[in-house]
Amino acid sequence: MTSPTAHSTRAPRRGPGAPLSERAFLTFLLAPGVVLLCAVVLYPLIRSLLSAFFDESLLYPGMDFVGLENVLQVLRDDFARLTTQTLIFTIGSTVFPFAIGLALALVLNQRFRGQAYLRGAFLIPWLIPGVVVSFLWMWIFDANYGVLNGILMSLGLADSPVAWLFQTDTARGALILAKTWNSFPWIMVMLLAGLQTVPTELHEAAAMDGAGVVRRFFAVTWPHIRGVAGLVVLLEFIWNFQHFDMIFVLTGGGPAGTTATYATAVYDAAFKGYDLGHAGALGLVWMVLLTILTVVYVWLSERGEKSEKGAAR
Amino acid sequence: MTALDARALASASTTPRGIRRRGRVRWGMWITLVIIALFTFAPIYWLLVTSITPDALVFRFPPTLWPSEITLDHYAEVLGNPAIFGYLRNSVIVSVITAILSVVVSMYMGYAFSKYRFAGRKSLMYFVLSSQMFPQALLLVTLYLVFAQFGLLNTYLALIISFTTFTLPLCVWMLKGFFDALPDDLIEAARIDGAGPWRIFHSVILPLAAPGLVAAGLFAFVRGWNDFIFALTLAGPDKQTLPPGLVNTFISEASTSWPALMAASLLVSVPVCVAFIMLQRFLVGGITAGAVKG
Repeated sequence: MTSPTAHSTRAPRRGPGAPLSERAFLTFLLAPGVVLLCAVVLYPLIRSLLSAFFDESLLYPGMDFVGLENVLQVLRDDFARLTTQTLIFTIGSTVFPFAIGLALALVLNQRFRGQAYLRGAFLIPWLIPGVVVSFLWMWIFDANYGVLNGILMSLGLADSPVAWLFQTDTARGALILAKTWNSFPWIMVMLLAGLQTVPTELHEAAAMDGAGVVRRFFAVTWPHIRGVAGLVVLLEFIWNFQHFDMIFVLTGGGPAGTTATYATAVYDAAFKGYDLGHAGALGLVWMVLLTILTVVYVWLSERGEKSEKGAAR
Repeated sequence: MTALDARALASASTTPRGIRRRGRVRWGMWITLVIIALFTFAPIYWLLVTSITPDALVFRFPPTLWPSEITLDHYAEVLGNPAIFGYLRNSVIVSVITAILSVVVSMYMGYAFSKYRFAGRKSLMYFVLSSQMFPQALLLVTLYLVFAQFGLLNTYLALIISFTTFTLPLCVWMLKGFFDALPDDLIEAARIDGAGPWRIFHSVILPLAAPGLVAAGLFAFVRGWNDFIFALTLAGPDKQTLPPGLVNTFISEASTSWPALMAASLLVSVPVCVAFIMLQRFLVGGITAGAVKG
């Protein structure tokens, strides 16, 4: 690592010791962060992925090389189920919060009294700790005393209490609903920031030309916020693809494994099955899948941008 | 006719059809706002109400949306529980040390990225940024083994090391932004006065970056305060923080003490909300500005 600094090129170096001390200082600046990242992120990541190729357990020491056996087992037994379920959770927990976040951002971008306080208040679901969000929804969905069942039954929409989190046909929806509540505020904030870049004159001009609200949204607003929107969707997708906390607390991957994702499956394989080889193989497939999906997304959005520019010309 | 009049005349909103359309849009806006507000605030209302409703009314079906009696017993129960106090102490220790350590490590790294040009700078920056994209459930498995090997399971250190590292990408980025805003001439002037790099950073740059340091520290504090999965797995019963601690205390197969759990949940959320109110100025501006520009 050499250290010609931005300023040292302009300043005369005083004495032969100066460059050396700059270099030592730079090393000092970077070393703690690099050491931590290597020890806590890079090494564990590589080590976990490597154990995919070994028969390794939390219960006894040592590891036997088994080649692709673990990976093939994951592809055979878990791949279809976990990929489908992870994608359902990820897409549901991205699409719904995005729709709500966008609608709310458009409304809150208008000027009216108390709007600043309202913006702050809408952030609460995102601010409170994930575990608290999980507790709250667990209580709302509770089969015996839950307020959701109470309301539905008093309105005559349900005949008997529903065990929302413990039925295979409702658990996924309930989970996505709770996650939606938790994540739309962040999307709202990001999109509001994007909306602030839309010049009001453009809107006025479009209105003068007789463009309706819908036309104005697609012709004026959307082009200005599509960059932020794309980033928000990508980040939400990546985060939801790896989400653990709320699934673990609310359903634990159940009932009958219908809400399990790669995140909960890796955890279960390691800490309930003690099977590190299986956990590593699940992780490997998970990472490869996420990388492919991200590359496809970035490629699609770049292509979309190009074709749009072409059409504009 | 002035230009302004012409504009007003031409504007769709002044024609009868335009006015009707605008009215419909206004209505649409209000209805959207009310529906989303109901979805957002009803659960929060329920959290508050449950925490102050006597047990006799809570465990009755259908539940009473507007309780006839209120009580503070559940808060007393939570605050009087020695186990909860233990978790609270752990949470404070872990989050505060995480905050301090994160600030120290990321201020050095952010400064290097901001003011130095060196070989491998770009790749190192990408590595720091991308490190938050790796699945944490996967890292956890090996971290558990590593900490077990060094005898660090069930220690504060295991949690502090993990949380500090996970906050680095964002803290380094925030602080790099702060240092970028400080002019290079400042460094130049200090250098001409004979100050070495160590002194320049600590006595010239750092005091100016104080607001950024506070913001990064608060962010790291919240990260440590909110974490669930690492605290659950790496810390044993007596080093566990509040999030897994609450699960242990209140949730069991047989019965869950919902009102007390809601009271505890509210108390856990308060520090985060306070931190955010203090952070707001930096966070919303800083993060979104970067995102919009990028």
